[in-house]
Amino acid sequence: MKVLCFVLILFSNVLFADSIISLLKEYESTSENSLKTVNEKLGHVIVYSQKEIRQMQYTKLSDILKELPLMSLSKNTYGLTSPLLAGSKSVSGFFRFFINDHEISSSFNQSPSLTWGDLPLDLVNHIEIYYGDSSFTLGNETGVYFIRIYTKSAKQENGNELRSVFQSNGAKTQSLTHSQSFANGWSYLLYLNNEKLKDKSEYNNSSLKNNSDRKYLYLNISNETTNVNIGYTGLNKDNFVGLSLDGLPDSGEIKSKDYFIDFTQYFLDDKSIKAKFAIDINEREYEENNAGGIGLLPVLDLMGTTIPKQFNEDLKFTKTNAYISKTFKYENNNILTALNVTNKKYKVKERKSLNFLNTQTNVGYYNDFNEETVYSLLFQNDYKVNDKLILLANAKIDKYKRNSYIKDSTEQLFRVGLIYTPFEYLGFKSFYTDTYLPPSFYNSDFVDITRNTITSQKYKFFTLEGVYTRGNSKFGMIYNNVKIDDFIYLSPIGFTNIDHRIETEGLIFNYDYEFSNKNKLHLNYYISSQNDNVSNSQKGGYIKYTGSYNKFEYFTSLIYKSSFNYYNVNIKDSFDLSLGATYNFTKDFSCSIKGENLLKKSTQSLYSYGISPVTNYSLKDNVERSFYFSLKWVF
Amino acid sequence: MRFFITLIAYISFAFSNQYTFLVNKYDKEIELEAKIISNIAKSSMKGKTKLFIPKISDLEKKVYSKYFTLSETCEDSNFIFINKTIDEKQLCNTTDKLFFTNNYKKLIADKKYFGAFFWSKSRPNIVFISKRLKEMNIKLPKNYNQFIEYFNEK
Repeated sequence: MKVLCFVLILFSNVLFADSIISLLKEYESTSENSLKTVNEKLGHVIVYSQKEIRQMQYTKLSDILKELPLMSLSKNTYGLTSPLLAGSKSVSGFFRFFINDHEISSSFNQSPSLTWGDLPLDLVNHIEIYYGDSSFTLGNETGVYFIRIYTKSAKQENGNELRSVFQSNGAKTQSLTHSQSFANGWSYLLYLNNEKLKDKSEYNNSSLKNNSDRKYLYLNISNETTNVNIGYTGLNKDNFVGLSLDGLPDSGEIKSKDYFIDFTQYFLDDKSIKAKFAIDINEREYEENNAGGIGLLPVLDLMGTTIPKQFNEDLKFTKTNAYISKTFKYENNNILTALNVTNKKYKVKERKSLNFLNTQTNVGYYNDFNEETVYSLLFQNDYKVNDKLILLANAKIDKYKRNSYIKDSTEQLFRVGLIYTPFEYLGFKSFYTDTYLPPSFYNSDFVDITRNTITSQKYKFFTLEGVYTRGNSKFGMIYNNVKIDDFIYLSPIGFTNIDHRIETEGLIFNYDYEFSNKNKLHLNYYISSQNDNVSNSQKGGYIKYTGSYNKFEYFTSLIYKSSFNYYNVNIKDSFDLSLGATYNFTKDFSCSIKGENLLKKSTQSLYSYGISPVTNYSLKDNVERSFYFSLKWVF
Repeated sequence: MRFFITLIAYISFAFSNQYTFLVNKYDKEIELEAKIISNIAKSSMKGKTKLFIPKISDLEKKVYSKYFTLSETCEDSNFIFINKTIDEKQLCNTTDKLFFTNNYKKLIADKKYFGAFFWSKSRPNIVFISKRLKEMNIKLPKNYNQFIEYFNEK
């Protein structure tokens, strides 16, 4: 009897698996795993699939960034979310952000916080996060943490979507996605978003306002060989703490507009030639008034006579990028060669300050460095020794031409690595990378006024990853050892290269369990250590559970970041508990509710004011519990 | 009952979705596409299917050859799946062959296609046009009825 039942179940399983309806369902579910674009050769990868983004109700990029290992998310002095390396305060250029292969990190400070940093995720299909310098393959500027965002595909969406999100603090977001495919193979996707966010913090019995209005427009036009991306984001927000010397500005405003167009064309039948051209323009205005003084380092003489009480700035950054690559196969070698040219221009339309003697100064440029061109030559070879072992080698030469202040330089970087899968259930991946992070316009503007010079940070890092799968379980572990020379650090008097080597080590543990195709458990824990003073959390992790039942989808997650001490400031452990559920009334209409920061033990960000002495303090990133209600209609 | 639960758990355990590294090009989606097209072809015609995909890629060749006999030319085939932009004037005589596309607009605009497999509202869809099925003498199994659209064509 038992044997008969087994045969029947197996038979019905096979029969069901091959019916056209079950094949369509499996196809949709496989597509939602978003694994088509994963490139294991770029580094150690974490994928946030379309399915996970939907089930976990991630609505903003920061929802994902805040749980990533070996980093944490902080609110910077302008009230913008900013990624920080575990154990350390901000590192310029360490994190790089891309939408559909187009870098969205700012030309000014190599950070996307002001422009695309908190991107709404209803535009996004999936996100890949690479730990490792993927500039070797893609020709982009160097970095260590690469966040690659892929927007929804016009061909796959082929419809319209309306979404509204309401937050318990009064914030609200509306978005519209429209896409269409034509008989001639072309398709387009248009995305519009308008959001009004509310946020404030209390410090010394005063309110620090952080309200913002953002608008996004995204247009993707593509066919099999051509891909055009046009993006716009506009921001109007309060300046939060700003540059105030007493930590409480009287008033202030930040305005930003960012436009880009990115054109990619593939040539030959095998698409082995890729040519890309892109232009980015960022215009930003800053205004601050503070009777307590403004800590604008480049204009301070430390005697106190030049302290501004009013500051206005109007800047424009232009980045032009051209890239061409060719891939080819030779026996067991996959070879990629590429050329990349990037030009960045920095224009000060206006920069003026008013000091305590009511003397207005047209500050203009802080120094003469306002143009940089980088010429890069890339080479990658992966050699398949056998079905179990792939060896990787990368080399890149970057030649920097700068118009002034920071000297021209030529940087040579390389990487070697291997991917070894001795068994189907066991794999290892390892890289040794020798790379650098160049100084930005921001670094040179706010350079340590006592040193007046800044150079590239040199990174040497070794990583080793092991993955073991058994049944529905997947265990993973990543070890990293990083040595940094000339580390750029923001001291109270500006950016400086630290005169000693920074060494850090870290370990990430991952465990995934799939209860069925619908329910999943994720566990993550990481620790890191460094030979220098700690200014950020060094341990963290999360536990997440996602699932569905009939027309319901639900999730719960708990994100932990460890406590730490920074001078006299003690930051406690943070525990961010979130719960949420979605009810799908039909295939086309759903509503969701989500609660965040339910334990009210949010992460905290560090701030300081004054120059001598410096007062350090911390503020909670989220004070209250947040509740979200959202509606989605597809038509 | 406990036995069935254990059995189902065992089956799901054995067919795990977990992977270590995606070293080779990810082909699971294309594998399922090939299975779907194979299912449609087998349901639409009698006898052996000889498939022709214009501008077929190496990966498609590798995957589709598991389910079909692939033809190098349109003339030599009896089932043509057009999933790329091509110059359709160069295609062979249409009378004794079945044409299928991955583009709904193309299906509507061109009467030589009897059906399409495409994405709409973020979901994969299959559509056959009833009148064309009759004209081409194609009888689909009952579980395909939900994919048949009835609209007037001149």
